[in-house]
Amino acid sequence: MNPDRNAPFSRRQWLHALVAVGSASLPLISGRTLAAAQQHSARVVILGSGAGGISLANRLARALPAASITMVDRKEAHHYQPGYTLVATGIWDVAQVIDTNASLLPGGIRWVREMAREIDPESRVVTTDAGTRVPYDFLVVATGLALDYAAIPGMDVAAIGRDGVASVYNGPDGASATWRAMAQFRERGGDALMTLPATPLKCAGAPLKMTFLLADRLRQAGTLERSRVTFESALGVVFGVPRINEDVLRRWKEGGVAVEFNHRLAEIDIGRRRAVFATPEGERHERPYDFIHVVPPMRATDVIRTSPLAWREGPFAAGGWLEVDRSTLRHRRYPNVFGIGDINGTPRGKTAATVKKSAPVVEANLISTIAGREPTASFDGYTSCPMIIREGSAMLIEFDYDGRLTPSLPMIDPMQESYLAWLMKVKMLKPAYYAVLRGRV
Amino acid sequence: MYEIWLMLNIVWELVLLHRWAVAAVLLGLALLWAAARGRSGRRTGPTFALVAAVVFPLAIVGLPMLFGSSVTEARYGPDWLLVIGSAAGAAMLAGLFAVPVARLLRTDRNAGARPHPPLSGGAAPRA
Repeated sequence: MNPDRNAPFSRRQWLHALVAVGSASLPLISGRTLAAAQQHSARVVILGSGAGGISLANRLARALPAASITMVDRKEAHHYQPGYTLVATGIWDVAQVIDTNASLLPGGIRWVREMAREIDPESRVVTTDAGTRVPYDFLVVATGLALDYAAIPGMDVAAIGRDGVASVYNGPDGASATWRAMAQFRERGGDALMTLPATPLKCAGAPLKMTFLLADRLRQAGTLERSRVTFESALGVVFGVPRINEDVLRRWKEGGVAVEFNHRLAEIDIGRRRAVFATPEGERHERPYDFIHVVPPMRATDVIRTSPLAWREGPFAAGGWLEVDRSTLRHRRYPNVFGIGDINGTPRGKTAATVKKSAPVVEANLISTIAGREPTASFDGYTSCPMIIREGSAMLIEFDYDGRLTPSLPMIDPMQESYLAWLMKVKMLKPAYYAVLRGRV
Repeated sequence: MYEIWLMLNIVWELVLLHRWAVAAVLLGLALLWAAARGRSGRRTGPTFALVAAVVFPLAIVGLPMLFGSSVTEARYGPDWLLVIGSAAGAAMLAGLFAVPVARLLRTDRNAGARPHPPLSGGAAPRA
């Protein structure tokens, strides 16, 4: 890509730029900037075919017809992860969260069906696990994150679904197996432990939703009275937004859900149904259980964690998260690298809703960078969590980096349990997700 | 503006997701109205109103149940707006189905008693 940035634009280029800007995705940059970027035959490589990667692929394929776009990811299946809690609690069938990447990716892009193993940002090359070298001018990191079940001694993901072990995060099969374990447990009741690690989490509301819905399933089965549900948080809170944290704790107090703070799941003995929790003071408490919901610690994927792109200091260094500016989502040291989705080392949002609002920002800032201009689009950290309170009711919580509640519509009360929020969760968010993936919103 | 665009996209994706059901409903309506074309339309309004009035309260209760919830979970303004709006939509749809069906049934019942009205449309000839 060696464009002449001062070259005049043809009428066709202007027309193309106007059409692209006119689409809802590009109100964040000027037509001149887009037209300038469209002159480049930039090589854009996208790592990861999750929501962020596919959304960017569709947006960039439409906005930059002259660019060469390459997707690097071996995964053929696409999973609608926001639906995992619905599968894991018996509300949805597992088939409702499974699709194919091929049906979602745009035509005209190159798809390298291998996994990125190494990134050299100095020479601008990605090397895959099959040894393929993929050079780039601009890189979009959308690898998602890694579930670190191995960090819990005794934990075996193959046990999810039996011996009272559940975990909503371990893919569609894990969610489905979690429902099997929950369905068995609700028949008899007993001691349930719901865990929360101290690391940044994908959909930090999921452990809470699982707790609310477990209690609801026990109530429906008539076994809540003889059960004891305890939420074991490795932190001093159960949710990072103070108002929501207080509200959830109040509801659990009324509903009989006990909470223990600063209890990190340190070990599990699946055969004996015993879990060991560690405190910051070094104490260890063993708890018996009939049902345990394991939320694994989460960290960056190995390819990012071991690369020069990871944070080197600060709160995101330990997990090896991608070092991006929280506003522009551009890498702080490598200006031709952008991040989207769970991999970003930014506060809070690791949800599909974050992708929804950040994809246009990444697209606009990447286009500005390609055009040789400084990125100006800004992301406020928007994320959303439809907090299911019980089957049939939810709260639609939206907030930003700073934990401020930011409802999209003024009449929505984020603290109000509601049928509307429930209907959005079970019927409307998946269509919205697909619109995001196709790059239309 | 963004939220309106998002909502339009959600509706579009829902139509795509349920395209066969949507197509069946539209085709059914089109066929019924085509079949009833030219039949007496004097009682269209009362038929529509009667069916809609019956379906509306049923939909108020039934639609939330269809979606795994209950009308008792409607707690504030936006909930009630959704409940009433969706029930009104269901009532209108039922009315749109009922009108041509009623016309066809009435005509069939009267077929042996008096001749069909002219196919060109309009009211039956006055006595």
